[in-house]
Amino acid sequence: MIRMIRAQLLRLVRRRTVLLTAAGCALFSVVATLTVFSTAQASGSPSRQAGTTRAALAGAGGGTEAFAVGAAFVGFFVFVIFIALLAGEFSGGTFRAVLTRNPHRLQVILGMLIGTLLLAAVAVAVAEAGTLVASLLVAPTKDIPTADWFSAGSLVAGLRDYATVLGGVTGWAVFGATLAAVFRIVPLALGVGFAWAGPIENITVQSWATGYRVFPGQVLASLIQGGTAELAIGRAVLSTFLHTAAAAAITLVVLSRRDVTT
Amino acid sequence: MLPTRAPGVRCLIINGKTPRRSWLPVDNLDLELPSGVVAGFVGPNGAGKTTTMAMLLGLVRPTAGSGTVLGGSIAEPAAYLHRVGALIESPAFYPALSGTENLRVFATVAGHPTAAIPELLDLVGLDGRGDDRYRSYSRGMKQRLGIAATLLGDPELLILDEPANGLDPQGVQDMRSLIGRLAGTGRTVLESSHDLSELEQVCDWLVLLDTGRSLYQGPTRALLDGVVAGLAVVPEHAEDLPELRDLLVADDHQVVLQDDRLVVQDAATGIDSVAAAINRAAFASGMVLVELSPLRTTLEDRYLAMVHGTAP
Repeated sequence: MIRMIRAQLLRLVRRRTVLLTAAGCALFSVVATLTVFSTAQASGSPSRQAGTTRAALAGAGGGTEAFAVGAAFVGFFVFVIFIALLAGEFSGGTFRAVLTRNPHRLQVILGMLIGTLLLAAVAVAVAEAGTLVASLLVAPTKDIPTADWFSAGSLVAGLRDYATVLGGVTGWAVFGATLAAVFRIVPLALGVGFAWAGPIENITVQSWATGYRVFPGQVLASLIQGGTAELAIGRAVLSTFLHTAAAAAITLVVLSRRDVTT
Repeated sequence: MLPTRAPGVRCLIINGKTPRRSWLPVDNLDLELPSGVVAGFVGPNGAGKTTTMAMLLGLVRPTAGSGTVLGGSIAEPAAYLHRVGALIESPAFYPALSGTENLRVFATVAGHPTAAIPELLDLVGLDGRGDDRYRSYSRGMKQRLGIAATLLGDPELLILDEPANGLDPQGVQDMRSLIGRLAGTGRTVLESSHDLSELEQVCDWLVLLDTGRSLYQGPTRALLDGVVAGLAVVPEHAEDLPELRDLLVADDHQVVLQDDRLVVQDAATGIDSVAAAINRAAFASGMVLVELSPLRTTLEDRYLAMVHGTAP
């Protein structure tokens, strides 16, 4: 397992990948900060689903509010990246090549997943830090006080935001791995992922509100947003755990039972 | 024929019918490779060669059967895969990484040292190209990198699925030489190929497969020795060829003219007596023969005869 994680990091941690990830984090920080601060409502219920309020931005945790709100929109992007990375392992034959050296399929897929998630964890931290810096620069221009951003409560809020976003990223990653293992072909896995997490879930919940609490994409979005009106954070964490466990089980069953051929 | 050395691979495997598969890719294949042989794995498309190799590597699970590879059970490939180097189907690497980086990744996966990578790249003729991205490699270079990857960790058994595929003539010759050198170090090699002339030159052991069943397993020499394709007859003077031909046809031989010689095709058995009779008849007719030699059958001839059921 450790060898697989190291191999995955060797594969991913390269100058080009690091620069691209850093650029992506910087872009996210700037865009999320500008958008959230520009659209913050003067008053109202602080629901991250529909942006945020000036009061929430001025309070403890306001420094990472833009990060948490913006992250809700990148979950699907993470999903796509994991599908492409892992389905590419199957269609490109590298999964097969790896198995001729390490036949433990569970270790191989977990190692690939964990290695990629370690990189994602760093990227999430960098994006959160970048958003805090951008928020510190933008807040004075919007007349939003930042005094509470350096309190202990703010640190706790920042850590909570980091944990929920990383939890959401992990969930998307596992769902991506499941689609990759089941379909094995990048366009097919991506097509199914797009269709499900895009139109199918979002159109269905318009007429069936329970979908917010049961569909994996909706549950993960709620988790990343720190809870929503439809699904509180506690339920979101529990549902994410159950969904992720089910997806992981499907992945492992599919991998262990299938022959690995081209 | 029973091997005289301890087996490198010894298994009876069946990849049988399943609810989703109605045919038998591998049907009661009793495979045995002595250690240290270079074994050619021959069979038509769909004969089960790649499936068999995939089963030895744990990629495909036999529906029944048992056996060992390097002493480890095929039910537990982890027990022996670290001593096996394999190139199955086509080489597969990460396109965005260089050749060296790819080898480093795969060495890390298997826990092999990476210090030998420059030497391996040199061995397969990729010295100076190791830092180039894999996606920029030609097909032959990709194949060479695939061979280098199989040699990571100094394996005892090499399983190579058409290793010369995509190589230019020089590359094929280099590959042949490389496999010969590897075999000389005591490794066991199982190599599948459709290039039978190449296998005939490289392999000292053959496994002939058709529709999932073994047609022949044993030394290459035992398959080819003692079986001749005909008898070449060359008179001293080329102008005697028509008369000599008429003479042989009159003796009920099947004769064809090939270049500047006659080939007696019905001399596959009892060749010594046939040769003696031809020599006597020619001498009696005033002709001197400068060549009277058996034509050795090729692996291709023998293989096709066995697949079509016409082999003696």
